Amino acid sequence: MKGHHITSRTTLLKVFVALVALTALTALTAQIDIGVFNIPLALAIAGSKALLVVLFFMALKYDKPVNALFFALGVLFVVVFLTFTLFDTAFRGDLGNVGKETIHSTEEGAEE
Amino acid sequence: MANTSAAEQAAKERALAHLKHYFVSSDQQFDAAKMGMWLFLVTEVLLFSGMFVAYAVYRVWYPEVFAVASTELNPWLGGLNTVVLLGSSLTVALAIHAAQTDKRRALVVNLFVTVLLAAAFMVVKYFEYTHKFHLGIFPGEYFAYEEMGQRIVPIFFSIYYVMTGIHGVHVLVGMGVLTWLALRAMRGHFHSGYYTPVELAGLYWHLVDIIWIFLFPLLYLI
Repeated sequence: MKGHHITSRTTLLKVFVALVALTALTALTAQIDIGVFNIPLALAIAGSKALLVVLFFMALKYDKPVNALFFALGVLFVVVFLTFTLFDTAFRGDLGNVGKETIHSTEEGAEE
Repeated sequence: MANTSAAEQAAKERALAHLKHYFVSSDQQFDAAKMGMWLFLVTEVLLFSGMFVAYAVYRVWYPEVFAVASTELNPWLGGLNTVVLLGSSLTVALAIHAAQTDKRRALVVNLFVTVLLAAAFMVVKYFEYTHKFHLGIFPGEYFAYEEMGQRIVPIFFSIYYVMTGIHGVHVLVGMGVLTWLALRAMRGHFHSGYYTPVELAGLYWHLVDIIWIFLFPLLYLI
């Protein structure tokens, strides 16, 4: 059809090579323990790979902006879903850190 | 003279045979279909996000258990499957390129290679699953792997089975759709003026690939 962007085969091949290289990178970095940065690094590499697939294989880079808007909204709601759930579940144990005495003395203070 | 114009007319009608009467043009029909596909893909992302959130909640609660349980997964097989799926994404993109440039043979070959790579992925998955079943690693309450007795280990494998299982179902559906499209492509149903089904199936297939891109490091490489 006229006006449809045709991604060249060289571009597609380059993206594939980059994806395989990033797969090797994530496998390598998983062998090194960098503490709290283990998960962010793995997610950053996976996110870059996903971005390459979305932009070039799915050609969102050359597509109508409305499709990018839909996809971005979907991703946004996943982020909302994930972070707001973790705001609850990841900090549940912290309630146990509240000292009983503290609450007790506050209550007594309120009675007086 | 009259014959040639009749033939031209027939060719023109064939080129527009796909166009529904309620669309102004082929391009409008293509854009509408593609927008619908992106909306569907968003629902797919949200479907999987529920499982990713379950994963995140339990990983934050029990990081050590996840680290121990994931050693049962073979990162080489997971890595192999990652490369296989990335390759199948490439062949699907090449198939669309072939359709856009009217290369029917390349279109058919690339679609069939994609199906073969998807089948290879499922074969590797089959060996991974049967190996775990052999050890007694079953989902949920049927978990019977003596060497990993911690209370939470079965939850890791339940998450593993649900995530890779639903992903695997998507791969099987994709194989069916891509085979159907390859057979249609053989009969010459697609050309540069009409390849919407190939484009949409390609988008679906890339999304299945993206899900695996996240599953691989999160499950195999902890």
